Amino acid sequence: MKSIVSMILAAIGIGALILFGTRFINPVPNEEGNVLHVYNWGEYIDPELLAQFEEETGIRVIYETFDSNEAMKVKVDQGGTNYDVVFPSEYMVEKMVAEDMLLPLDHEQIPNMKNIGDNFLDQPFDPGNTYSLPYFWGTVGVLFHPETTEGLDFSDWDTLWDARLENDILMVDGAREVMGVGLASLGYSQNETDMDALRQAEEKLEALGPNIRGIVGDEIAAMMEVNEAKAAVVWSGMAQDIMWENEALDFTVPEGGSNLWFDTMVIPKTAQNVEGAHQFMNFLLDAENGAQNTEWVGYATPNEAAYQLLDEEVRQDERFYPRPEQQEELEVYRNLGPEMISKYNELFLKFKMTLE
Amino acid sequence: MKTLGRSYMVVIFICLYLPIAYLIFYSLNSGGTMTSFDGFTLEHYQSVFTDSRLIVILLNTVAVALVSAGLATLIGIGGAIGLYNIRMKRLKQSLLSLNNVMIVSPDVIIGASLLILFTVLGISLGAFSVIMAHIAFSVPIVVLMILPKLQDMKSSYLDAARDLGASSFDVLWRVIIPHIKPGILAGFFMALTYSLDDFAVTFFVTGSGFSVLSVEIYAMARRGISLEINAISTLVFLVVLVIALGYYFITSRASVKRGGIT
Repeated sequence: MKSIVSMILAAIGIGALILFGTRFINPVPNEEGNVLHVYNWGEYIDPELLAQFEEETGIRVIYETFDSNEAMKVKVDQGGTNYDVVFPSEYMVEKMVAEDMLLPLDHEQIPNMKNIGDNFLDQPFDPGNTYSLPYFWGTVGVLFHPETTEGLDFSDWDTLWDARLENDILMVDGAREVMGVGLASLGYSQNETDMDALRQAEEKLEALGPNIRGIVGDEIAAMMEVNEAKAAVVWSGMAQDIMWENEALDFTVPEGGSNLWFDTMVIPKTAQNVEGAHQFMNFLLDAENGAQNTEWVGYATPNEAAYQLLDEEVRQDERFYPRPEQQEELEVYRNLGPEMISKYNELFLKFKMTLE
Repeated sequence: MKTLGRSYMVVIFICLYLPIAYLIFYSLNSGGTMTSFDGFTLEHYQSVFTDSRLIVILLNTVAVALVSAGLATLIGIGGAIGLYNIRMKRLKQSLLSLNNVMIVSPDVIIGASLLILFTVLGISLGAFSVIMAHIAFSVPIVVLMILPKLQDMKSSYLDAARDLGASSFDVLWRVIIPHIKPGILAGFFMALTYSLDDFAVTFFVTGSGFSVLSVEIYAMARRGISLEINAISTLVFLVVLVIALGYYFITSRASVKRGGIT
């Protein structure tokens, strides 16, 4: 029976032909070509900048995307592809440094480093920016629906405990984030290690129980877009994405402290094009490129020079660029060591168990 | 009773296809969201077609599916016939169980172990590794589709063919393969669909700039579903629809032909 076998062979042939053909749409350079493997979050760079970088330097960018820090780390660690520039979040930088996965940066090759605001340099997760440079930053705050929460002032964490919000608050499913709400409302540090303080925070969270509709992951976005709940404790970046979809929502970072997070640029040890990687970072930190990228991505930029080039309206938006005195209250989550982290997880779990 | 059965079926089909219809409908929405329909536009399709990177990824997805399904089917035919010919019951059973373990084991585990295997062997990740991985998880499905057809086959057919002087090759080519053809077809199309929608295994073995749609859409969806995703998904749905129609025509034509001969 020839027809079936020839059909299968035809399928293989057509497939191979397509694979061969795609090389001409987006030519993959030969081995000697100067290429740069970039591994970034999805939708996290203006594609025009990639084209511009290729034009300016003659380096071809091979761009791939990931959707979580953990998945990214596995792929970098296994080394099937030798990525040259990767964009981990700050806690992942600390982990990657601890596991000796990163190359120290040569600051001399990145003159545009001077554009980064001082508040965003020399953070505890990477003292002296030996391994990483900030790419975007943000906070944890409250996303809310102003119409249905009239009379509630979310500039205070304690507002979440208001009886009018019964069964109407969503929270991200993270031990540090949720415990952080309890700690901030009591005036403790986001990196509190005192057991009494942590227990108090957990008890206070238990009182929040009746107001909580759910502790969920990425579903928060979909739920808030259709107004499933009146308020949600989320990262500022996530809040921004949701607000694009649902313009009826507003966001604020309550006073009394909150988290400060970074997505950063690093060079893994396995990089093949270290010089190109430095060039790429320097390119992204350029004032104009940074501004263009910030407009496209929409998150808050640590690039002071780029910030000055943004629209007045964006720069004055205190929801995403908090006033300096409020910025002082923000804290990066420190790696508190496995023992302390398991305490946080334990208390978080205890709190979750009290929920119905 | 009959109307009840019919309406039940209608409800089930509506439930199955409503989400896809909804997605396709909003891929034509000029408003930015999936909540209100503002007007008709093709701009999301335009932005897909002007993004050469996305087009390459779309083509890659189809190419990987065709190549891996084709090769997996060829390997699967051999595997099924080999399994069928084993006389020792216990060996046959254990080999079959090993085959089935591959089908039920979680994709994440298959993906992670393939990633380790490829890096240990020094195979760089890219088109080759993705195709190999897809073949690996498709072969057991193909084997499972073909095996029942082989077991249906009366061994007297084979004896008769040999008695009439057919060589082993003739037996395979003129007796066995025609008999198991429906199984081969089903296996091929199953492999094709598995390859098109696999995310977990593929995620681990993509690299060197080679990517397929499932991985790309996952990364894009992290920042909310843009209508561009709707547009790509619609395109993929159309490809699958064409494949399904092709399958329908091939099988219905084959059965007509068979009916005509006997």
